[in-house]
Amino acid sequence: MQVKNFLPGQYVRDNQLPINHNYLQQQFADYEVILDKIKQVVWKGDFTLGEAVDQFEARYRQITHTKYAIGVGSGTDALFLSLKALGIKEGDEVITTPFTFYATIGAIVTAGARPVFVDILEDYNINPALIEAKITKRTKAILPVHWSGKPCHMEAINAIAKKHGLFVLEDACHAIQATYRGRSAGSLGDIAGFSFHPLKNLNVWGDGGIITTNSDALAEKLKLMRNHGLKGRDECVMFAYNSRLDTVQAVVALHLLEKLEHIIASRISHANTLDIELKTISQITVPQREADIKQVYHLYSIRCERRDKLKEHLIQHGVDAKVHYPVPMHCQPAAKSWGYQKGDFPVAEQVAASTLSLPVHEFITEQDIEKMVRLIQEFYQ
Amino acid sequence: MNVEIEVPFVDFKRRYALQKSEIDAAVQAVFGSGNYILGEYVEEFERKVSQYLGCPYVLAVANGTDAIIMALKAFNIGVGDEVVVPVNSFVASAGAVAAVGAIPVFCDVTEDLNIDVIKLPRLINKRTKVILPVHLTGRPANMVAVLKIAKQHKLKVIEDAAQSIGAKYQGQMTGCIGDVGCFSLHPLKNLHVYGDGGLITVNDEKLYQQLKLMRNHGLKDRDTCVAFGLNSRLDSVQAKIASLGMEHLNQWTERRRYIAQLYRDGLKNLVTVPVDASGDFSVYHNFVILTQQRDALAAFLQKQGVDTRVHYPIPLHLQPAASYLGYKTGDFPVAERLAKEMLSLPVFPELKDVEVQKVVKTIQDFFRIN
Repeated sequence: MQVKNFLPGQYVRDNQLPINHNYLQQQFADYEVILDKIKQVVWKGDFTLGEAVDQFEARYRQITHTKYAIGVGSGTDALFLSLKALGIKEGDEVITTPFTFYATIGAIVTAGARPVFVDILEDYNINPALIEAKITKRTKAILPVHWSGKPCHMEAINAIAKKHGLFVLEDACHAIQATYRGRSAGSLGDIAGFSFHPLKNLNVWGDGGIITTNSDALAEKLKLMRNHGLKGRDECVMFAYNSRLDTVQAVVALHLLEKLEHIIASRISHANTLDIELKTISQITVPQREADIKQVYHLYSIRCERRDKLKEHLIQHGVDAKVHYPVPMHCQPAAKSWGYQKGDFPVAEQVAASTLSLPVHEFITEQDIEKMVRLIQEFYQ
Repeated sequence: MNVEIEVPFVDFKRRYALQKSEIDAAVQAVFGSGNYILGEYVEEFERKVSQYLGCPYVLAVANGTDAIIMALKAFNIGVGDEVVVPVNSFVASAGAVAAVGAIPVFCDVTEDLNIDVIKLPRLINKRTKVILPVHLTGRPANMVAVLKIAKQHKLKVIEDAAQSIGAKYQGQMTGCIGDVGCFSLHPLKNLHVYGDGGLITVNDEKLYQQLKLMRNHGLKDRDTCVAFGLNSRLDSVQAKIASLGMEHLNQWTERRRYIAQLYRDGLKNLVTVPVDASGDFSVYHNFVILTQQRDALAAFLQKQGVDTRVHYPIPLHLQPAASYLGYKTGDFPVAERLAKEMLSLPVFPELKDVEVQKVVKTIQDFFRIN
């Protein structure tokens, strides 16, 4: 892949737009430092659940304020294994949002259960007021997704879960370092899954994920489940899976963890600036922000009139505007057998039809933001 | 002088030292590219494997266990189904079957450590859907018999080729003989990555497309999901490392076979040594000898600085995880005996001749005394 110098200090792939969503080359401009650390792993042959995985898990417990952190193969696996550890199985129902990434639903389906959708609020997250009506005898868990890095209304969700004896699994794949009423995402339910996919706020050089929980029993089970159910080398106490965070990826994650505060602070700062500017444009709806919620803007998404045209306009002028995502889960071909139809979740559908994400990562500059705002203003004039 | 040589079971350092310049450059190139998931590096690796195996469709996945799970799912194997698995294997062979909700039905093995095709037919019933032969240690299972039985009962054959890349059964590459082949790229494997990785091989294009969807959330494109599922991808950097390995694989295999021959020559009168059946080509992921004095020999070797292993000391039916299946000691007499007699000697390609000689001499010394 050819790399060209775009602006002083900025390196972008030549097939990318100047104001991009994919900033990996900039983020890993110092990759030689990481390579040196990876070489240590290679010399030791410490590839599988090695020392760096232990170190990263220890740090992750600290930053999420949880008792256990268990590194796994991906964010998707984090959700799937959590459901299995909770005992979710064939015939069970799991309540979740139709406005999410496919993996949330894929994890439920792979565990054998059926996802039961509940519409969202204008903040893109599950509407707690609609949950109780969907609870049946088969409901075993609620799976709120902290979409875009904004924690759901967890007090309301936990209260419902408690009342009905349900588990709460947080899909925190977008939400590292987000807080709800002072408490960290990942510590707000019974168990939580995070993703370190290359475009996440904390990312690795491939796939990776982690599970956090305060439960001794769940943690013990999950440590077995991610490694063939092996206790020691020769004894298998439960037939299970293989889903391990590679040691070399844990090295990358540890390296980036040192920059996490800066990464998140930049995203929040960019989002705040955009909020102020975009609120003045009548065709744009900026989601409501809440004082007791710290959102970390894995995505900065707004709703806008004539979305597809605006997106085209932005791309034409070098801004990598994206839609996350245009088709809600209940309208996917994969959901056909559950009998949902268009109109079942009006808010999710409206949001899907009007949402647009702008890049707010740490390499976005003030000038970039000014340009994005100007382009949007121009478009609506 | 020989006594001073310590012989490790495996030594990653030696391997890396030999490949250091190419690995460092390749890893740097991948990381610099910003292309970390699927894409060109994975495709390049898949192409190389496809050529090597002479198999049209190769899919790189997250690990060898996932490869088997995905193959089973592609055939719709689930609750109520049975899959026949040799009882002497790594736990993942049975774990993958249990993972899809099916029942692993164990079959005894023969002295070649592989599935006993004579005992196999009587395990088949209406619920049986798949036979999962394992080419354990890189030695081909009796595929003619397996395929014949499968055909007779209309069963699918999924080859667990986790340990057998490059091994040939009657001239045919293992992993390309049944309906699906599943390979592992774990760091200890003959072809390996620096973390977890796996491969699926198929001849059928439709099956391949289905597995490809399964690997990536069931996504037809970024915005359309046709089947909800998980993801199981080989990281780009690992694909690049495996691609480099492909350039060395034949050489590594030859070296393993050479070491095996040295062991055979030195030990054949003292212990049972593995020998290729006529027409077969083993790749010696492990070199396993059989002796009734296994524990004493292993202890003796350890004392003399030779590291050995047992693959595997507890047959699958006696694992605590299998207790729900209701097997008991005595159900698989051959496997149970082998569990007490098997010993894996070091056989990695970077092992030096003097080290092999030390292992041979130490074993000879042991049998002189015992």
